[in-house]
Amino acid sequence: MKVKVISRSTDEFTRERSQDLQRVFRNFDPTLRTQEKAVEYVRALNAAKLDKIFARPFIGAMDGHIDAVSAMAKNPANLKWLFSGSMDGDIRLWDLATRQTVCQFPGHQGAVRGLTASADGRVLVSCGTDSTVRLWNVPLPSHAQDDSSDNEAKPLATYVWKSAFWGVDHQENGELFATAGAQVDIWNHNRSQPINTFEWGKDTAISVRFNPGEPNVLATSGSDRSITIYDLRLSSPARKIIMQTKTNSIAWNPMEPMNFTALNVQEKRKSVFYTWVGALLFTYGLRLDFVLYNLLHVSSHAALGCWLLTCYLANEDCNCYSYDVRKMNEARCVHRDHVSAVMDIDYSPTGREFVTGSYDRTVRIFQYNGGHSREIYHTKRMQRVFCVKFSNDGSYIISGSDDTNLRLWKAKASEQLGVPEAVSSIAESFACLQLLPRERKNHEYLEAVKNRYKHLPEVKRIVRHRHLPKPIYKAASLRRIMTDAQRKKDERRRAHSAPGSIINKPLRKRRIIKEVE
Amino acid sequence: MAEKGKGKSRGEITQRRRRDGGEVRGKKRKNLSSSGKRKEEEKKRRSGPSLPNALKRELERLNPTVDGEVSDGDDEEIDSDAAVGNDVYEYEEGVAEEETMKNKRYDPVENYEFELPEDFEDWKVPSDDDDDDDDENEDPGRHGRMLEEITGLPADAFGGKKKKDLIISEAYPESEYNPTGDILDGSGRISIQDLLEPLHGKSGFSKLRKDLHRMGKQTVPTLAPVARTDQERIERKAAYEQSKKDITKWEPLVKRNREAPTLFFDEDKELGYSTIGAIASEFTPRTDFEKKMASLVNQSEVVEAHKRDGARLLELNEVSIEDVKERQERLAKMRDLLFRHEMKAKRVKKIKSKTYHRLLKKDKSKAAEASIRMDPEAAKEHAMKIEFKRAEERMTLKHKNSSKWAKRILKRGLDAQDDATKAAFSEQLSQHAALTRKINSIKESSGSDDSSEGDDSDDMSAGSDQEAAEKLIKKAKEKTLQVLEGDDELPTSGVLALPFMVRGLKKRKDAADEEAKLALEEYESSLKQLGDTNKSRSSDKEAKGASSGRRVFGAPEKVVNGTTKKEKVNNYYGDSDSESDAEANADDNTLNDQTGKSLKEMDIDPSLLREEFGFSHDSVFKSFGDAGDPEPKTAYEVAYLSSDTWKKVRKSSDAVKGSEADLNVRKLGIVAQAEKDPESEDDDEDSGSDSEEEMVDGILSSGPKSTYELPSQAELIQRAFAGDDVEEDFIKQKEAVLDEENPEPEKPVLLPGWGQWTGLQKKRGLPSWMLKEHEAAKQKRDESLKKRKDAHLNNVIISEKLGKKAEKLHTKTLPYPYTSKEVFEQSIRMPIGPEFNPVTAIGALNRPEVVKKAGVIIKPIEYEDVSVHERGEGHKRSAPKQGKANGKKRSRK
Repeated sequence: MKVKVISRSTDEFTRERSQDLQRVFRNFDPTLRTQEKAVEYVRALNAAKLDKIFARPFIGAMDGHIDAVSAMAKNPANLKWLFSGSMDGDIRLWDLATRQTVCQFPGHQGAVRGLTASADGRVLVSCGTDSTVRLWNVPLPSHAQDDSSDNEAKPLATYVWKSAFWGVDHQENGELFATAGAQVDIWNHNRSQPINTFEWGKDTAISVRFNPGEPNVLATSGSDRSITIYDLRLSSPARKIIMQTKTNSIAWNPMEPMNFTALNVQEKRKSVFYTWVGALLFTYGLRLDFVLYNLLHVSSHAALGCWLLTCYLANEDCNCYSYDVRKMNEARCVHRDHVSAVMDIDYSPTGREFVTGSYDRTVRIFQYNGGHSREIYHTKRMQRVFCVKFSNDGSYIISGSDDTNLRLWKAKASEQLGVPEAVSSIAESFACLQLLPRERKNHEYLEAVKNRYKHLPEVKRIVRHRHLPKPIYKAASLRRIMTDAQRKKDERRRAHSAPGSIINKPLRKRRIIKEVE
Repeated sequence: MAEKGKGKSRGEITQRRRRDGGEVRGKKRKNLSSSGKRKEEEKKRRSGPSLPNALKRELERLNPTVDGEVSDGDDEEIDSDAAVGNDVYEYEEGVAEEETMKNKRYDPVENYEFELPEDFEDWKVPSDDDDDDDDENEDPGRHGRMLEEITGLPADAFGGKKKKDLIISEAYPESEYNPTGDILDGSGRISIQDLLEPLHGKSGFSKLRKDLHRMGKQTVPTLAPVARTDQERIERKAAYEQSKKDITKWEPLVKRNREAPTLFFDEDKELGYSTIGAIASEFTPRTDFEKKMASLVNQSEVVEAHKRDGARLLELNEVSIEDVKERQERLAKMRDLLFRHEMKAKRVKKIKSKTYHRLLKKDKSKAAEASIRMDPEAAKEHAMKIEFKRAEERMTLKHKNSSKWAKRILKRGLDAQDDATKAAFSEQLSQHAALTRKINSIKESSGSDDSSEGDDSDDMSAGSDQEAAEKLIKKAKEKTLQVLEGDDELPTSGVLALPFMVRGLKKRKDAADEEAKLALEEYESSLKQLGDTNKSRSSDKEAKGASSGRRVFGAPEKVVNGTTKKEKVNNYYGDSDSESDAEANADDNTLNDQTGKSLKEMDIDPSLLREEFGFSHDSVFKSFGDAGDPEPKTAYEVAYLSSDTWKKVRKSSDAVKGSEADLNVRKLGIVAQAEKDPESEDDDEDSGSDSEEEMVDGILSSGPKSTYELPSQAELIQRAFAGDDVEEDFIKQKEAVLDEENPEPEKPVLLPGWGQWTGLQKKRGLPSWMLKEHEAAKQKRDESLKKRKDAHLNNVIISEKLGKKAEKLHTKTLPYPYTSKEVFEQSIRMPIGPEFNPVTAIGALNRPEVVKKAGVIIKPIEYEDVSVHERGEGHKRSAPKQGKANGKKRSRK
């Protein structure tokens, strides 16, 4: 008689090192484990709860500016360095790891409206309402560490131009940069005058962004409520759409060169106000007293704030619109959630999500194709957010706000970054930030399980739940009521009119007035 | 040919004009065509063939009747001309008019009015055959021939429609500006070429010619410049289309990335400089040696030499001759020694004498032994060697007569061999046994080995371990108990069954039992003393021993056995080693006094055992006695003992001794059997309990069959469920469920006291609305009951209560990306956890959508050609990592 026996070689179940885990042999027959689904559901629920418990996104604030932070720029070559410009003309270079100012770039007489760094991170370009473009040499990390206090850099070049600038952006892997002002100017590092100027209509361009994937394509938004696409190769504007409200900022998806997201949008009157400030500055020239400007600025903001509280619910659009450049007559996606004008946007380098800063004092994170935000960040002290940036590794978010502070957040609120002291420094502690393989695997598993059961009511509720500041909560609910009412009204109107006489435009098209060739 | 040339030259002349006013003129025509004036003009232009007047006159004279037809023919000739003016619109009218006008053609007045330029304009416009219907029935060929005959002009001059000939009547005298028809017709016609010829060779001629050429070519009018806004718009449109096209090239790449289950961004880590030079430059000396080396390397001299050139370095590198010489000598010596050694080894190996080799071997082993004795390390080495040999033997079975040599001998037969071979053979076997014995002893180390070792430790060292002793004592106790148990069988036959023998046996047994009890007590006490730490354990075991039911003491038969045993023991010890016995006795004595140290008790224990166990435990004693010199053999025997065959050993030892009578032997056999019996019985009981029950069942089922009649099934069931009425219960239960889920409406009741004092309410009964409501509620309930799924299923309850717990495991609507319920359910069907999946699958199952690392800068997308084929391949690739560079890294699937 032949007897079959289970035979295993010792290699299969012996450990190589004493630290290794004992190998466990399992029978994966599903009939043996009938409760697996229930088990995983409970795990998903627990994971969702744990995520809530461990959600501590705020890492720290960077204090130093004496006026609202108006512009920020990442250093493409250096993960932990960030430039920020403020309304008083101060530009600072921050070390995110230590949250200290590395050096300052004094010189601007008015608000710094645009900041950008060249691809190699060696040259910083700034522009502002004092009608100047300034190029700065960024100090090397080694030099900067030597004497970090009161380090002041001198500009490489200063180009005075005709009108105030509202934004600047640098080409990816090139030496061109574009400024937005009365017209769109293309500059070269080595030329004191723009090498190309675009003008389409007479309205001011208020923001400009180069397409990171397709470096010759850029988009601007204008005060005539337009979004314009330019192509440098043909040295001509290409297409323009006009929306119902003004677009504050634009961001290209770095992983999908055909797509960009524009942030609508803010109140018309506010833009008027801003242009008024700009014009004032311009008429007074660069001689305007600093203190006077400060006073003016601060008071204006206060006034604006009050005004906004009453006004921003009226009929304004606080949404972001994602477009495909090739098909501009309708937005690909409308991202709703903010309750006030959205001020700035930045895409994560992964291209899968973007962050927005809003006048409602919150920072939100959206999926690139999600209609609603996945995350909202706010603190008691954070005021209107004027600029936001995703860090180059897609793990951190930096926001600059009216309260003169920059704030550093985690992009994923409950992410485990490593040992506590490692959190304070991003770049230095690569090794520390890595989780152990088993830990990482477990995190991955929990995330996957949570993702799998995210549609079930219990998990969904926990995952979606956020505590909101009261004014935002109220504003959101009020907004909901208003949109519902409007919808109801439209439905009734349609029901009581001849069929076909009232066309229901989808939301993606509703705010677009026309596409101009 | 002539015509063509003519046409061309004329064309050239008229081109300018046509270009200027061509379109305008057409319009004018249309407008004017209906007016009379216009008609007149038409008439004027209709000129006949360019015949001289004299000729015409003659023609008229010759055939006046044919006049009309001639004119018709003329008309045909000039139709090209006429057609110019005639629109389709004019077509009908024109026929009629022409009939009247024909004769006027030759009106001299009209000829005067003839305008040449207008005529020229319409030269090339294709003709309408408006006059065709007139001369349809005419033979044009005949007419032409006639004309030819008469005029002497070539037939072409009057030829068919295709002939585009201009006949100009001479309105002016022939001059430079008014050439005759001859000139125009024939080769003598003046063309631009003719005019240009005289200029040939003059300055500016080529330019003029070029201009002319250009003018001749350019037939399309240049457009007026477009308005600037429009122009810009067009430009923008073009630019947009272009950029659109450029951007579309990204589409496959983006699509691939979007469809990828995972994007990887963690690949390209900046490692910085990792060359050897870079690493070496970072090095800083820490230890003394390193510092010393560094100081030598970084000596100012050396550094300087490095900096300057090689010559100085060479100088520094110079070695003295003495040093080199010494080194060489040393090397030579070493080499020489090695050589000598080799030679010696060779020589020794060559020697064939076996005795020499044996002696050599002996010497070697002696030396080794000496070294083992002297040097512990050498001993260790030796032990290692032996161990290795053993292991080798186990592995190879070298000595198991499986070698070629051994096989050959076996084949031949061992008897046929000489003594030396036999000896060698047996030597082999014994060696194998020796080498493998160790394994056996290791394998069976469960009890005996331990005990012997424990003894070793007892004897050898004062610091004996308690556990071993404890074990020993326990074992002894166990054996004692076994003996006590084992001998409770009475001998039923033979000499021992005789009453006096029985009595004697009983007596002995009693004595032995008492002694055993005493021993047990002692064991216990000693155990207690021993195991302060593991007291509980030992006590447990005692309890076990006490409570295990089958241990009966004091049975009368046992005494006899015990006594015999005792005798035997005495005999045995008297025979073999009284020394140890005496020792044991002495120890016994001391035991009674001593209660203190465990060490001494340890010494006592074996002796106690000897006393109590009698001859049946002789092997144990032996082992204890031999504990001083541990030999493999001892271990072997102890191993035997520990197994359950120890009784056999006992028997055999008895047989060997043979001093006692057969009686004893026989008795022992019986005892052994008797001992075995209860065991076997027990076994039966243990193993066969199930079968026994089955048997009982079988009896139950089969028993009545044979005796009683089998009751019917229904009867049986009835009998079985005599007490309970299931159906009624179920009905009740169902009603309860129904009531719970659709509760019965409450009966209307009057509030007590309401309307009672008048007695009115009582009289009237309940108010009608109450009754109505109640009625409605009842009806509603009935209906809902009817609607229930189990309404018509009498034996079923289908609860319609919603499970709240189940509710939270359902989604209200189908989640977004899924298109059907089945797909969604399928997507969450299989678990993804590490408990439910093999390790190889977990990574792929749990991988997040984006894999990135904090601290790694992610660059924007870079273009990479993704062909359709490649994409397909990409889809196939799933989860596992691959790719390296920038572009590839973010699109792996």
